[in-house]
Amino acid sequence: MNIKNVIVAMATGFFFIACESDDNVEVLLPSGDYENGIFVTNEGPFNNGTGTVSFVSEDFSSSENSIYNKVNNADLGNIVQSMAFVGNRAYIIANVSNKITVVNRNTFEELATIESGLSNPRYFVEANGKGYVTNWGDSGDDSDDFVAVINLEINSIDATIFVDFGPEDILAQGSTVYVAHQGAFGYNNKISVIDADTDTVSDTIEVGLVPNSMQFDAAGDLWVLSAGRPAFSGEETAGTLQKVDLETNSVTTRFDFELTEHPNFLSLDGTTLYYSLDGAIFGLDVTASELPSESDFSGLSVYEMTTKDGVLYTTDAKDFASNGDLNVFSLSTKTELQSLEVGIIPGGIYFNE
Amino acid sequence: MKIILSIWVLLVGTPFLMAQSDSTIVLEEVVLTDVKLRQFSDGVKTTVLNDSVARRNQGTLTDNLRYNAPLFFKEYGYGMTSTVSFRGTSASQTAVVWNGININSPMSGQTDFNTLLSQTSNEVTIRSGGGSTQYGTGAIGGSIHLNTILEFNEHTTHELSLGYGAFDSRSLFYTGAIGKKQNALKIGVGYYASENDFKYLGTDRRNENGAFENLGLDVSYGLVLGKSNIIKVYNQTFFGDRNFSGTLTAPSNDNYRDANSRSLIEWANFKGKRVQRVKAAYLYERYRYYPNLSADEFSFGTSGTLFLNYDYKYQFKNFLINGITEFQNIDADGSSILSENRQLFTGILLISHAPSEQIRYGANIRKDWISSYESPFVFSVNGEYNVTDFHTISVLGSKNFRAPTFNDLYWEGAGAAGNNSLQPETALQGEIGQRFSFKNVQVQLNGYYIASSDLIQWRPDITGVWSPINVKDAMQLGFEADARWKKEIGPHHISLNAVYSYTKSTDVETSKQLLYVPFHTMRANIAYARGNWRAYVQSLYNGELYTTTDNTQDLPGYFVANFGLEYLFPKFFGMDTTAAVNVRNLGNTNYQTIAFRPMPNRHVNFQLNFKF
Repeated sequence: MNIKNVIVAMATGFFFIACESDDNVEVLLPSGDYENGIFVTNEGPFNNGTGTVSFVSEDFSSSENSIYNKVNNADLGNIVQSMAFVGNRAYIIANVSNKITVVNRNTFEELATIESGLSNPRYFVEANGKGYVTNWGDSGDDSDDFVAVINLEINSIDATIFVDFGPEDILAQGSTVYVAHQGAFGYNNKISVIDADTDTVSDTIEVGLVPNSMQFDAAGDLWVLSAGRPAFSGEETAGTLQKVDLETNSVTTRFDFELTEHPNFLSLDGTTLYYSLDGAIFGLDVTASELPSESDFSGLSVYEMTTKDGVLYTTDAKDFASNGDLNVFSLSTKTELQSLEVGIIPGGIYFNE
Repeated sequence: MKIILSIWVLLVGTPFLMAQSDSTIVLEEVVLTDVKLRQFSDGVKTTVLNDSVARRNQGTLTDNLRYNAPLFFKEYGYGMTSTVSFRGTSASQTAVVWNGININSPMSGQTDFNTLLSQTSNEVTIRSGGGSTQYGTGAIGGSIHLNTILEFNEHTTHELSLGYGAFDSRSLFYTGAIGKKQNALKIGVGYYASENDFKYLGTDRRNENGAFENLGLDVSYGLVLGKSNIIKVYNQTFFGDRNFSGTLTAPSNDNYRDANSRSLIEWANFKGKRVQRVKAAYLYERYRYYPNLSADEFSFGTSGTLFLNYDYKYQFKNFLINGITEFQNIDADGSSILSENRQLFTGILLISHAPSEQIRYGANIRKDWISSYESPFVFSVNGEYNVTDFHTISVLGSKNFRAPTFNDLYWEGAGAAGNNSLQPETALQGEIGQRFSFKNVQVQLNGYYIASSDLIQWRPDITGVWSPINVKDAMQLGFEADARWKKEIGPHHISLNAVYSYTKSTDVETSKQLLYVPFHTMRANIAYARGNWRAYVQSLYNGELYTTTDNTQDLPGYFVANFGLEYLFPKFFGMDTTAAVNVRNLGNTNYQTIAFRPMPNRHVNFQLNFKF
């Protein structure tokens, strides 16, 4: 979500969306018991307010909103961007508040907060016993973007690795960290490779414009989905799906979308890659030789999407000023299994197991 | 006694406009530029807020109007962006009119009330209900009129007001007026600044990054030529430099600087029963938004609007007929709007008829021809009937519109794009009013219904790009009651006024109450004067409202009160000096007008006023 733009928009007065934290949530689960199920991070309203986390039971039978607020009687901060797990802890990133809240992933009790050294934080991954967090820095400055390295023992930032602009999605394999440079408010086309032993950028891989999501396949290759430049940029480019051989850090497979197609949310379930494009969900095998022409699902409103164990999960942010939904579908029967109300602008889906 | 009278004006504040006699019509033609506000609004609920009341809440118009009329302000932190809505409609459905000219930004379609200083106009009129026929786009819920009054008689007055208060707030307001039979000059200066670092109640934090500094300048000049011509020139300029404060959950280091300049020249010619006016006006606005105030990068927007207006009015027996043609050229440019232009040609016909002492009614029609979309034909019919000498009934019906803004049509930015196939929002409305006027008591009751269609909303499209579409229908159903009472008992002067409003404003599709529309609001002001002392209490109850469209989250209702005490010193070398102390938020209420943006805790301001 392009927060600063939205703030500018607010400043010039043409969004009327706002919110606050007093939730009246249906209590269906005993508080503090979040051991098995799905967390949905909700960004929360644009300008004034707090993001929240919802919990959905494993069997999709019940959901509970604002669980952090309920357990700790406090707010997570403005625009809850993402969350990640390390051991029995969860790290929740509030983008505009420049804050990471560390909680016990099963009880959601707060353990610590990290509030200094972050600037527009986006996503978190653990590697080599350390936490790595992508940061845009000042959104008006393309040269101050960095990856913060967190000492997980004392929950503070140990080091700052300056990287190319617009670092977004971040994954790790062994002690190597891969950062996709989606490009913040601009458009970038790189993957930074960070050596988690030395905390330096060891290589840069050029991929399609606007890489928004990555997956490792069973063979250890990295799949990168890039949206391409959107129409409103004035220089529209097609999306791409690429496979990177991590032995050589070179692109070995490349699929090009049509010029007006800008896919998002690359996910892997078994040997099938899934992505979302214009409200439809497409799947292709990692060995496929071309992009699929038929979608598995269509006509959805997708704000976030992922797959796991034969199940497709999408979120619907509706009008962005009311509670959204988590929608659950069977990938095999292509039917909807359940729809549950979650929080405002649900932007992340995470599995606690 | 003169002092007591001026106190009365100060305390009672907002008398209703009384039906005008012929002599006032002539006077109006001379002192005012926007005469149609009074002559073609039979039955329309209008409330005048004079400058004495304005002085009580020294600062911006937000502070002044909030306690005096059933208007809902959304203030993004004290002193920050502030928009107003009437009767459950949106901020873009409120027109702000300066000396007859609609000054809403062509970019956002709104006016920030914290960029209007209370001293920069002499008379503020709140006109409730639709007024698109006269004032064009945005006049759906109502309109706020800022008029400069030039008086052509022998006078020289200076009024200076100095204020200092909590959070290092400083203000200086000056108005000077010099007049003779043939010419009149008026100068206004307003300065209002504050560190604005009040404590957030219930936390250990303060309102960081909320400092602001505002400066407004006004110059108006009128010259009477011969027996039948007047030339008037007006200029109003504003400079604002504000940091935009953070919220309870997010810090901020933004800064926003804006400048507005409005110029108007008018030539009026009077001959027998006709009046001709030719007007030319130019409005300029510019903003710069710094996402990081310590960096040089900013985004900006700028617009310039040229108005050329010809107005011909003729009185025929009991009929008053007014034809107006107007041409507008609007240019806008900015970081997210690439140099766009819009041209507009307007035809307006206004008719008012007073067949007897008891009945007055009117009909207005308007059509705009515009380069970028189809503008609707709009109309209004309005009338009032004096049932008895103390009881008046009014009935109104109108169609009004809100044009898509430049942002709506042409925005180009990361993740958002304007839509150049948008059409205007339209609203049909009806209203019935009753007014009772006795010697010491006035009561006004109004009920209204508004059905709006094709409301413009920004929503993400299937690719996630935000874009505006004509998507929603809404309806408002409401009731307003306004009661004023004053009494003199020996040396004691007491006045009371109370304004209650009920507003049901719903999305037609979901039947849910719209965002940020309280069902109930109540304002009550009481003033007391004795000898050289005056005291007042202002209070506002703002009921619970929803902050999400599914009405699952709300902002609780709140009650805020202010107290003021003033002392008028004996005349000193012909100068009146008043010392005032104001306690704001008397109950130290923790409240927000926008969720997560706390408003100031209890604080005290001091003021010294000099009049000579």
